[in-house]
Amino acid sequence: MPYNIIVLIKQIPDLELIKINKDTGAPILEGVPYRFENLSKNAVEAAVRLKEKYGGKVTAVMFGNEKGTQVMKEAYAMGVDDGYIITGYTESNPRFTAKVLANKIKQIPHDIIILGNQSADSMSGMLASFLATQLNYPLLSNALKIEINDKTAIASEGAEKFVADETAPLPCVISVTQETNEPRFPPVMMIMKAGQKKINIEPLNLPVESYSKVLSKMAPKSERKRIIFEDMDKGLPEIVKVIKEVVK
Amino acid sequence: MKALIFSDNYDMAKQIMGRAMQDSQFTLMTTESNEDLLYFGAEKVIFLKGQPVYSCIGETLISEFKKGYDFILISSTTIGRDVAAYVSSKLNLDYMPEVFNYRFDGNKLITKRFSLGGKVVLEEESDAKILTVTPGVGEGIKSERKSLSEELKIPDGPIKVLAINPKQSQGVDIEKAEVIVSVGRGLGKKEGLALIEQLAKKVKGEIAGSRPVCLDYHWLSEERQVGYSGKKVRPKLYIAIGISGQIQHIAGMRDSKTVIAINKDKNAPIFQECDLGLVADLYKAVPKLIEML
Repeated sequence: MPYNIIVLIKQIPDLELIKINKDTGAPILEGVPYRFENLSKNAVEAAVRLKEKYGGKVTAVMFGNEKGTQVMKEAYAMGVDDGYIITGYTESNPRFTAKVLANKIKQIPHDIIILGNQSADSMSGMLASFLATQLNYPLLSNALKIEINDKTAIASEGAEKFVADETAPLPCVISVTQETNEPRFPPVMMIMKAGQKKINIEPLNLPVESYSKVLSKMAPKSERKRIIFEDMDKGLPEIVKVIKEVVK
Repeated sequence: MKALIFSDNYDMAKQIMGRAMQDSQFTLMTTESNEDLLYFGAEKVIFLKGQPVYSCIGETLISEFKKGYDFILISSTTIGRDVAAYVSSKLNLDYMPEVFNYRFDGNKLITKRFSLGGKVVLEEESDAKILTVTPGVGEGIKSERKSLSEELKIPDGPIKVLAINPKQSQGVDIEKAEVIVSVGRGLGKKEGLALIEQLAKKVKGEIAGSRPVCLDYHWLSEERQVGYSGKKVRPKLYIAIGISGQIQHIAGMRDSKTVIAINKDKNAPIFQECDLGLVADLYKAVPKLIEML
């Protein structure tokens, strides 16, 4: 039986390219390109696999900005059928993001909503539960395996110490982890086709909600000694000395 | 101040109680069953029984909170994060995720957490009443006085648990290791692990790895992954071999006491985050090191 699947995707600044201003300790974000957030790729992969198995349609929704079109094209190349970007994202606030996404989701037919369980920038890991609670749907969290049986989703939740097989009635929210699957590299043909496809861009129609006042935002000071040897004969005895102080 | 704590993890429960003890009275709710938890200063420990479904645990927390608490502390675990967002939504109370340090300033809360993948620390002022806290937020302190003990059944909800299986683990817990020998992409091949194992044995350490080694190449299991998206470790000695030192990795080992790095690229960022570094080919340096130990 075919299903309407919504996958939530996210773009983040390329974290490894963010430099720190040595004088102020502040991050330099100007000119840092955006990229597809890792777990969003796992989410797209999971959604597309469900479509391939059961039939149906995958719609991607992103709360971001105009620069998100590149990420949306990548999602199209992976097998997403239709995509919406809601522009106007300013800061990480999963509760507000859930509200924005829930509003959009209500306008799109859906049985299953899939998203990553945490994203690599702030790792708050709360969006899935905020969204499920706001939509009043059950959440199958950290799903390692996903199956759909008629009107029920079955997933294995991977917690730290156990894996729980759980079921929930549709519609439901499912969050995936980095272990859930290996996202595909789309073939060139798909990438080329994706470039032609229409992306729906809509401005945010809610006032932005903030939940904190930032007092400071700086790189943590590293107190490391940074004694570096390039000569192995000099460096190794020092390393041995340090190891022997700890390991007696 | 009166705090309600929830943790599904024994070690985290102790750490959070240790932190809460500094300025609050508190109750612990936990899905753990270890009665040791009755000796860490809680007024009351509520042992939750039944299926660990986040929304159902959330409901038990909400009923307890309504008896009169100022704020809720929840350990940042897969279940904890889901519970926190559920409770924040249902109670319509502000939240703050991934907090590693907090204090009260009048009726405001001042918190610290990492952002941008661990590159920066955000210090924020908020009205948050529901916090998820990360490992290291405090240290458990044994108390003479025994807490009151209660048992509570978690109610049923729309999610049905069919089966619970313990995770297949090789029994390693690198978060508790005192010495860690960690490898990165620079190892080049899985066979290189044999050499690392010899070194780990010599220094009585556990082997760990970076994200590519554990997740992309599967040379090591995922439970050995150190990083922002993996385990956060704090050993006395961390030996990083063939690890470039991307922020994703540093964020998982930043709290190590002493860091030694061996890498052949002298511009590798790991040399900014180590106490002692050696610019060398690991296949030349490590065998010599083993010999010298």
